[in-house]
Amino acid sequence: MTTGALYLQQIINGLSLGAMYALLALGFTMVYGILELINFAHFSVFMVSSFIGMWALELLGLQGQGVILTGFALVGALVFGFVVTMLGAGMLGVAIERIALRPMRAARGTAAMITTIGVSYVLLNSILLGVGADSKNFPNPMPEMHWDIGGATLRLRELLIWCVSLVLMLGLHLFVNKTRLGKAMRATAQDAEAARMMGIDVDRVIVTAFFLGSALAGAAALIFGLYYNYTSFIIGYSAGLRAFTAAVLGGIGSVTGAMLGGIIIGLIEALGGQIVSVRWTDVIIFSILVLVLVFAPTGLLGRSTTQRS
Amino acid sequence: MPELLAFRGVDTYYGDLHVLKAVDYTINAGEIVSLLGGNASGKSTTMKAIMGVVVPARGEIFFDGQSLAGISIAERVRRGIAPVLEARRLFPRMTVYENLELGAYTRSKGPEFEEDLQRVFSLFPRVEERLKQLAGTLSGGEQQMVAIGRALMARPKLLCMDEPSMGLSPVFVEQVFDIIQTINKQGTTIFMVEQNANMALSIATRGYVLQTGQVVLSGPAAELRQNEMIREAYLGEMKVAQA
Amino acid sequence: MIGRDRAAPRHGTLGGETFALLRRASPVQWVAPHLRSRVGVSLVFAFALLFPVLHRNDADIDSAANALAYAALALGLNIVVGFAGLLDLGYAAFFAIGAYTYGAFASFQIQPAWSGFWEPFQWLQLVARMPMPTGDVVHFTVSFWLMLPISAAVAALFGVLFGAPTLRLKGDYLAIVTLGFGEIVPIVARNWPSVTNGAMGLNGVAAPQLFGWSFGVDATPYYYVGLGLIAVLILVSSRLKSSRIGRAWMAIREDEIAAAAMGINRVKFKLLAFAIGAAFAGATGTYFVAKLQTATPEMFMFPVSVMILVMIVFGGIGSIWGVVLGAMILQILQSWFLEDLSQWLHALGRLIHVEWLQQIELVQSIEMIFGLILVTMMLYRRQGLIPATRAVPALSLAEQAAQVELAAPRAAERLRVLDNVAYQGDGPLLEVKDVTVRFGGLVALRSVSLTVPARSVVAVIGPNGSGKSTLFNAVTGLVVPEAGKVNLAGYDITRLPPHDVLGRGMARTFQNLRLFPNLTVLENVLIGMHARLHTGAFGALTRLPGTLREEAQAREHCLEILALFGNRLLPRLDHVVSSLSYANRRRVEIARALASSPKLLLLDEPTAGMNPAETLELAGQIKNLHEHGLSIVLIEHKLDVVVSLADNVVVLDHGEKIAEGTPDVVRRDEEVIRAYLGRSASLGSAAVA
Repeated sequence: MTTGALYLQQIINGLSLGAMYALLALGFTMVYGILELINFAHFSVFMVSSFIGMWALELLGLQGQGVILTGFALVGALVFGFVVTMLGAGMLGVAIERIALRPMRAARGTAAMITTIGVSYVLLNSILLGVGADSKNFPNPMPEMHWDIGGATLRLRELLIWCVSLVLMLGLHLFVNKTRLGKAMRATAQDAEAARMMGIDVDRVIVTAFFLGSALAGAAALIFGLYYNYTSFIIGYSAGLRAFTAAVLGGIGSVTGAMLGGIIIGLIEALGGQIVSVRWTDVIIFSILVLVLVFAPTGLLGRSTTQRS
Repeated sequence: MPELLAFRGVDTYYGDLHVLKAVDYTINAGEIVSLLGGNASGKSTTMKAIMGVVVPARGEIFFDGQSLAGISIAERVRRGIAPVLEARRLFPRMTVYENLELGAYTRSKGPEFEEDLQRVFSLFPRVEERLKQLAGTLSGGEQQMVAIGRALMARPKLLCMDEPSMGLSPVFVEQVFDIIQTINKQGTTIFMVEQNANMALSIATRGYVLQTGQVVLSGPAAELRQNEMIREAYLGEMKVAQA
Repeated sequence: MIGRDRAAPRHGTLGGETFALLRRASPVQWVAPHLRSRVGVSLVFAFALLFPVLHRNDADIDSAANALAYAALALGLNIVVGFAGLLDLGYAAFFAIGAYTYGAFASFQIQPAWSGFWEPFQWLQLVARMPMPTGDVVHFTVSFWLMLPISAAVAALFGVLFGAPTLRLKGDYLAIVTLGFGEIVPIVARNWPSVTNGAMGLNGVAAPQLFGWSFGVDATPYYYVGLGLIAVLILVSSRLKSSRIGRAWMAIREDEIAAAAMGINRVKFKLLAFAIGAAFAGATGTYFVAKLQTATPEMFMFPVSVMILVMIVFGGIGSIWGVVLGAMILQILQSWFLEDLSQWLHALGRLIHVEWLQQIELVQSIEMIFGLILVTMMLYRRQGLIPATRAVPALSLAEQAAQVELAAPRAAERLRVLDNVAYQGDGPLLEVKDVTVRFGGLVALRSVSLTVPARSVVAVIGPNGSGKSTLFNAVTGLVVPEAGKVNLAGYDITRLPPHDVLGRGMARTFQNLRLFPNLTVLENVLIGMHARLHTGAFGALTRLPGTLREEAQAREHCLEILALFGNRLLPRLDHVVSSLSYANRRRVEIARALASSPKLLLLDEPTAGMNPAETLELAGQIKNLHEHGLSIVLIEHKLDVVVSLADNVVVLDHGEKIAEGTPDVVRRDEEVIRAYLGRSASLGSAAVA
């Protein structure tokens, strides 16, 4: 491969990773926008839903990369996988909100965030104890189709990831800007008390944010499995932190910012691994997180993260 | 005139703090009633109690003859109570149109919505001009117009206004008070918390004076304006002690 | 809690009856807690000292020694999270830094070639010359005992380096940044094999030696070192907590803006908390690595940070004995109880022939248990096993009645505390020149000027939203004006941060009350004295006579100030302010501002929410302050208060000054009547005439 092709390949990889991080970042940003809460449970929702996705595909008789589907069978299997995973993830998010976070609504400071760390731990260890520590082969029914673009390879799975992400993000954009509930959600994020006074059921808005954010994490989890062909109890942590960095980089609270931030972090991960070394990728990403927070606390499109005065 | 809103012996607490103490109000349909009182006297708590954000520890609030106990905010708005919040509280990163839409959140969008929109435009022609603008970019006076318009979009029987003159320029305050009278003449009852006592009493039918959570005076606005105590203790809080 | 002095005055200047009342108010609390806690602490330490003698099981002693290490970490994190309120999710990073600092200099990892440079170090016994086939190399032999403070210092240095740019972030963002830092450190350890031996980990780390005797692998000596470490850290924690420094931390935790307005340099004290917390972890890292004689990056990952957090949440955030107890219980749970419980379940499984019971390994589920503890504690017992603050019983009816007997104004006659506050210089005390403040597109203040002559009372009036509080914020440094100048006693304070403004002699109260809600009345007022006291970390730790004297005087000063309010507050010294009535909270806030011995006091609606009798009482007290030379700027809506107190009145409307003059002049001003009273001017003039 020529150097140019190598970089092109990394950009393709980066866009795929970025699409996944963007979906995951949207969950952080939506919950933060409304509750000003950094939801660590989101890490584990992502991880648990990758297992939901795996079991859903295995339910169709797909095991590892042994069964390859084409045509309508493939589309049907994938649609089934995404729907089940997203519903499962969404319900998990709603359950977390109802059981662990709603009673914390009035708590000041970092108490609710500490609770989400606890929830994240419980979920992580449930999978660890229930499924085991070894990574699992993730079913992938997609044929090994690929195209050559300037020396780089574009695989079918990448095309799928881009399409699914684009559709979901467009859908979210329309939901937030065009529907009654979506507008209620934006209003609640901007001024929850005023929103309540308009008769908006803020609890319902919060549940919706958790459902949608978690469902998008579910989609990201399925994408993760289809992209890497594995899953494990450990995947939530590093992917979650990267997605969180993406949300902060884009400007926490901003839906467009989360999408943009996700793509940028994906590209940085892919190209950084190429240019520097894969071993230092995490350090690069966390340094970006720290630098953005310290020097550009509003991110690219968001609101302030520093203390007033 | 039929009774529209009534407080019967309402007590509220904020933590340990006893805010409203056995408060009674009666607001009849078609009236403009002003609630006067110093800061921290319980005026805003009254508004919150009407909307159901603060729940009375004792006593009951009735609207249109029915108790509001256990009634959600949304249902209160649906039954015809709409608030104009203190300091306007528009949704700053949404357009004026979206803000108006959210005022009608509890009602389905139909011909009535368009009708109400036209009513707001006729009261505030400036609002129609700014429809696509983000609410946060409007001037204070324009924001107050949108805030009142937003409340009217709920097609309320009772408009609860929390300090409508706050932070507005004198010219604009007069305009707002004129519009309040117009809205009232169109058939909406108005319950208004206001610091600007003279203005408030000059357009009001009746008034209540609240002091550290208790109603210390009430009566027809004209009488209140003549009352020695209110002139000394409250009107603009401009009592002049012969110091 | 040890070291928590009760507010007993050493030599009363207030007259017997007040303190007699104080003693009546809480007869038991004056002596008992001190004695009780001393006895309790002695018993705990006696048991801890005897434990290895009584229980000669090396494995258990080893577990206990590990538990002590985690208790030490919990104490350190407690300073950062519990005292200063800064959530640190990467605390294990400092543990790692301490561990590798010792590990690298006490193993065979770093071996530079020998040269003459090293000879003086050899003489100091810090290095040894080691022959190797390829030539002699340096072998570091720095003593464990020397490395203990060095590692602490290195970790503290990293704490400062890392904290300096990040500590202004909001709580949850700080948490995320610390989490990132906690990730980066183990990655660096893994990717820097020349110092850390990478993922393989350091091996053959030297065991500590005492008078030539090596600790080796026997658990008992480590246990005693751990116990000593814990004893020192408990002492350090409790002395800091009850000092000026601890109060500053708690003030920042409770309300950062109020803390700044009370003269606390937020950056400095946050960094101090970060550095001391990191130092605890650094020393513990050295202890831990010396004990294990190995260090791998996996020992310092995120789960360790979470485990320490669980320990302090479980034990009680901010409570010294609570976090020690939390750490010990969780460690013992992990190393003894779960093991035993698993064995019992296996036995039970064999007995009743249930296969899965025989397979169960509860030790593996420890993280699950941590998660459950975290969620359960947060939902049902947020204050932890041993809460940091004890509830003080409310005053009995008899005690409340007793206060009323003592007439309020009498205590206010003694205003020795105000002797030094009067401004003696020439020229105006406060000069505000053309100050403009803009929030986004909104002009909150437009070119406002005002002058406060020495020994005067100036009232600022105007409708709600006219910019009065913004003026206070701009003058005290909470908001930086876009244009204009603020001079205090001839000194330009326009761009000074709030804590320096207070230091210059201007203190304020807030319209919506910004007290430190979970601290007591006395603590709140003591925090007001922050800028007038000097005790630093060294003084707090050593408690030399000078420090003790300063503290005693500070308490006395506070009592005298509280006496200004008669007996409204004195009987409630140990009550947390959130339990006080609204009027009393207003009084505490004024007392807190007065405690800083200001030349100029800014009062933002001091009588809001007070009934007429209370208003009258407070107005009298404010007048009293003024007569003793204090200058006052007052935002007030109650015009009778304004008229009876103010020499001069400034009227704001829409962020602009529309009138200024004596109360008499202002109330006749057409513009004021219009802005304030609205259009029915005839009525307005009737009211003011």
